[in-house]
Order: sequence, then C-alpha cells, then structure tokens
Amino acid sequence: MRQPDGANGICARVLLLIAALTTLTACRDDTPPAPGEVASLPWPEIVAAARGSEVTWRMWRGDPAINTYVENWVAPRLEERYDLRLRVVDGRGPEVVNQLVVEREAGARGRADLVWINGETFHNLRQEGLLWGPWAERIPAAAYVDSASAIVMRDFEQDPEGFESPWGRVQFALIYDEARTPDPPGTVAELAQWIDEHPGRFSHDQSFTGVTFLKILMYALSGGVEAFEGGFDDVAYLRGRDRTLEWLEARRDSFWRGGRAYPGGVAELHRLFANGEVDFTMSNNHNEVTTKVRQGLFPETARPLLLREGTIANAHYLGIPFNAPNPQGAMVVADFLLSPEAQLEKAEPGVWGDGTVLDPARLPEPWRRRFQALEQDPRALPADSLQRYALPEVAPEYHERLAEDWRRRIRPVGR
Amino acid sequence: MSESPEGCRRGVPAGREATWGLLAALAVAAPVLVGVAYAAAGAVGFVGPGAGSAGASRVWRVLSEGAVWAGAGWSLWVAAASTFLATTGAVVVAVSFRGWGRGDRWARALTILPLPIPHIAAAVGGVLVLGQSGLLARGAHALGWIASPGDMPALVYDTAGWGLILTLTWKELPFLGLVAFSVLAARGPALEEAARSLGARRLDVLRWVTLPLLLRGMLPGVVAVFAFVAGTYEATALMAPSDPLALPLLTMERYTASALAQRGDAYVLVLLGVGLAALAVVAHEAVRARGPEGHS
Repeated sequence: MRQPDGANGICARVLLLIAALTTLTACRDDTPPAPGEVASLPWPEIVAAARGSEVTWRMWRGDPAINTYVENWVAPRLEERYDLRLRVVDGRGPEVVNQLVVEREAGARGRADLVWINGETFHNLRQEGLLWGPWAERIPAAAYVDSASAIVMRDFEQDPEGFESPWGRVQFALIYDEARTPDPPGTVAELAQWIDEHPGRFSHDQSFTGVTFLKILMYALSGGVEAFEGGFDDVAYLRGRDRTLEWLEARRDSFWRGGRAYPGGVAELHRLFANGEVDFTMSNNHNEVTTKVRQGLFPETARPLLLREGTIANAHYLGIPFNAPNPQGAMVVADFLLSPEAQLEKAEPGVWGDGTVLDPARLPEPWRRRFQALEQDPRALPADSLQRYALPEVAPEYHERLAEDWRRRIRPVGR
Repeated sequence: MSESPEGCRRGVPAGREATWGLLAALAVAAPVLVGVAYAAAGAVGFVGPGAGSAGASRVWRVLSEGAVWAGAGWSLWVAAASTFLATTGAVVVAVSFRGWGRGDRWARALTILPLPIPHIAAAVGGVLVLGQSGLLARGAHALGWIASPGDMPALVYDTAGWGLILTLTWKELPFLGLVAFSVLAARGPALEEAARSLGARRLDVLRWVTLPLLLRGMLPGVVAVFAFVAGTYEATALMAPSDPLALPLLTMERYTASALAQRGDAYVLVLLGVGLAALAVVAHEAVRARGPEGHS
C-alpha cells in the first residue's frame, strides 16, 4: 500500500538520523595516555586523576556470588573512597579479544577500562598487542603479591611483564556427592574404573573447565606435567593427546548419554549434577562447591575431590585494554582489588571462596592474622593437600590444540 | 522480465517518494549489508580476529567440513519442524476460535499469552519440563510409567532436537496465531460469505477460501519465524546436542575459539547462515510472485 509522501519522508529522515548518530558515536576517538607517562607519575597523582571518573570493567558475569561481591561490596567502597563509579559489563575472555580487535580496526574509542582475563586470553591479547602497559608493578598492592609462586607469576608459562595484575588463584577439583558416591575414585585409573562400572553417570563440559580436565588427564597419562613444560612441543603434545583421546574413546559408551552429548558449559554440568543426572561435576575453583552448597544449588553432602596425580592450579588476572579511556581509574580499581581487604573478603567461603594471590608473610601483622583466621568451611580442601597436588598450567597452545582435537575426534557421533 | 503496467507502476514509484523510500530501505538494510561485507572481508582474512592468518582457502576449508553441513542441516531441520508445527497450530486455533463469544476470545488470549516471554526463559522452562530430571520425567516416574526419571526418552540434548522443536513451537505459535487472527478478521468473512452465497459447502469454503487466505496472509510471518529459528542462539545453546552442533552454536564456538587463527572461520559460517535465511526470503518472494495476488 502506498503511504503519503509526508509519512515516508519523516520515517526515512528519522532512520537516517539514527544511522548517522550511531556512526558518529562509534567513531569518537579518545586516545588513552601513554603507559610511560602514567608510570612516571607518583601514585597519589594517579589516584587524583582517577577521582570522580567512571571505570568500565568487562568481566564474565556467570556466577551470582562473584557478581554480588563486585556489585555490592567492591563498587560501593570504590565510590566511597575514590569517588569512582564502577560499571560492570559482561564479556568472557575470547569476546574481549574480538571486541578489542574490532575497535582497533575501527579506530573507535575503547569501551572498557579493565578486563578480567586468564592465560589463554592473555596470550591472544599480547599476540595482538591489545594490552596497555606495563602497569601492574606500579600499583602499591603489588608489593604483597606472592612473587615466589610460579602459579601466580607465570600465566600459562608466560611472563606477564607488568601487562596484567594477578587477582585470584584457584585449583581444579572434581565435585561429587558423598551421599551418592561414598567411595569416590582418587586417581585417574580409579576414575576410569568408576566410569566403566557406572555407565551414564559421568561427563565433562565442552568449555574451559572441560578442557582443563582433559589436560589433567593428558598430564597423568603421559608421566606428569614435566613432559609438557618449557614451551609448546609438538611431539610431546601428540603423544599426550593420543593417550588422552584413547582413554576417552575406551569409555565413550560409559559416559553420560553414551558419549553422544556433552554439556556446553560447566553451568549445565552443574545442573545435571544437582538434578542427579550425573554423579560428578567439576570446577576450576576448588572452593566453588562451598559457595554452591551455601547458595542451595548443590546438596549439603557435595564435596570437592583432587586426583592424586594432581590437578591444575592457575591464577586469573586483570588487564587494561590498549584503548582504555580511563587507565588511571582502572589502575586504582586493580589496586583496590589486590588490597588485603578486598582479597580477604573475596576468599571468604560465604562470599566467593576465591584463593588469594597475596603472600601472607608480606602482609602487615593484623592482615596476616585475619588471613590465618579465615573461616574454613568443613567441605573445603585442606591447604596442604591443595599445595601437594597443584600442577601448573603449560603453554596455551596445549589448551588450544587439545580442545580442537577433542572436538574433531571425540565429539562427533558416527561420522 | 514481463511486467504489467500496474505492476511496473507499483514496483517503481516515481519522484521524491521513491527517493525517500529507497533511502529509508537502505538505512534499515545498512547494518546487515555492512555486516555481510565485513563478514566477507573477515572470511578471507582481511579483517577481524586472526586477520592475515588465512586467505580465500579458509572459505573452502570451512565449507568442506562435514560438521558444518551437518550443523546447517540440523538447524534447518529444527527450523522447518518447529515452523511447520507452529503454523499448523496457529491455523487450527485461528479457524477454531474466530468468533466473538467469550470462549473464543479467551482461547485467542490464551494462545498469545507466551508472546512476551523471552526465548531464553522459554528454553529454561523447556529444560525444566522436558529434561530427564524434569517435571515430565518425574511425573511419569511418580505415576509408575517409567522405573526412574532417567528412563524417560531424551528430549533435551537429543540428536533429533525434539525438546528444542517443542519449545520453539510453543514460543512461535503465539506470533503466528496473532497473524492468523488478523488475516481472518480482516479478509475472511467477506470472501467466505461470497463463496457460501455461490453455493460452496462448509468444507469447501475451508479448503478453497479460508486455508489459502490464511496461508497466504501468514507467509511473511512464517518466513520470518523460519529464518529466526534457524539462527536462534539462546534456546539452541541450552537444549541442542553437541553433535551435530547447530550452525549458530558452531559459529559462536569458532568465534570464541582458543586459537585466534580459527576465529575467522566464524565469518564463513555467518555468511552461510545469512545465505540460508536469504534463500527463505527468495522462496517467499517466488511464491508471492506466482500467486493470483502476487502483488498484495
């Protein structure tokens, strides 16, 4: 049907105006100050520059406990102490990389001042030159970091070189329900036997946590992590990969749904566990079981489990994008997040249960005592066990290749 | 190309109106056109994450993967099945409850009730009802129909995608129902009355007037539903199997792959998805052009 000329014209003008505004907004350019410029400033001047500004933090927002900590505990304190408004937006590591690549191509103003990353993402960001820095050693709280820990100071075997600041430390654990599984397996061999004897009751997810589980299998089936340390080695990888995939293929039929389906993410695996469809789930955070029980998502009898061959421990970090509009604000936020106060709160089992990256020996006495007095949930794994069974991450290429080979060889059904 | 004088006049309006109309159409289409152009550049490694690590060979490598076509085929199957079921349901409801009595009005209101529910919420509901630990499985177990909830046939993450199809059907039926109610209310009574006055029996009116009228009027909505369902991500992520991996999931998986070089594969998959949706639109235009009311 033909519309009157006036109506058509108005609609068209409005649409054109929207398109023009969108283009103009996307193309505004604000170049952040050079890292060297900021690095030469005394810390109080950096804080003064940050005061009254807004910091946009792009982070994974898939866990309500983490969101509550950030929004209800961190944000109000930043506002109160530094007059900083914290704006938290969603974005997992790979999405952060993609967004920054596109922003760089467009010459667009950055949308985030701070990003939450791990080694895999750090590798990509450094490869593409998408991080601002170095800055991490400039923040006062960096003096408390556990610099003797290879797990904190080496991110997937990479030297952070001041381009990211450690934020938390976690260790992989399987999670089981002791009411359903009173005698859980303690080694990879026992796990294999358990899966064979309980068909349909075990699976892993397809995302980062699932691939970490596959890497743990690879270490265990290839004589230990030592075979993979010191950078990526194709021969070592192929040997480890073949053993891992053979292990999986040998018991594919005993996996949940006969190995014909895998949960997309660890949240789906958690749901299957909570609903009793499988007897194990897994987490990159050994304390997640505690928070999930307290949230009422897991049964009271859920427990974490370490395999005696060891499980992967790693740290997670904060980075500042190359085009961050407010890097000084981001540094102030990162400093606060690394402070003993924020690290202690984050480590509380009822808050998040995320391990600290600080070395208690470097802390002032009152803080050291408070860390020592940190509530120990009865379900939590003892610190000495965690330390004894902690294995480091290896070069990110192992993660990339194993994920890809699993998708090509194990996931397909009948092709 | 043959054109009737009237068709020519309607297809190419003259003067200012045509200029503004074309500009408006371009403004609407611009994001898609820019997106397609960017995806094409990304597919051959000119732009995007992992740019420079691949050339045109990437396109052929991705398009020669069995997983890609299995995923595309699976997405088309789910789109076709749920669109067919939703269309059938909408037609049945529209024909059955077209009056102005209280019962008919209630039935129409109930049909469109799920319309404002977000797809992600519908999918979560689908998992909670249809999963092997869901309401249906627990109910069947409580009634003694199955020995344990786990014995319920898999409807979520299942290879055929029945759980997803049922959820999407439930979600799209209200939209198509709304279209069907409007079509019947606007044009049905006059044409049906004319047919009846010419001696057509009730079933003949339904077969030769009501159903063609409905299907023709609903066709743009049906195409929109098909294209939307084929590319929908949230519900698919929650309910689809890991193999074959649906095209939207495969696209996202590649776009967020650990290896940066692999992310450009997603642009090829985006182009494939856009191509499939465009085919549905082309098919719709072809059907419209062939019919007795091709220009309506």
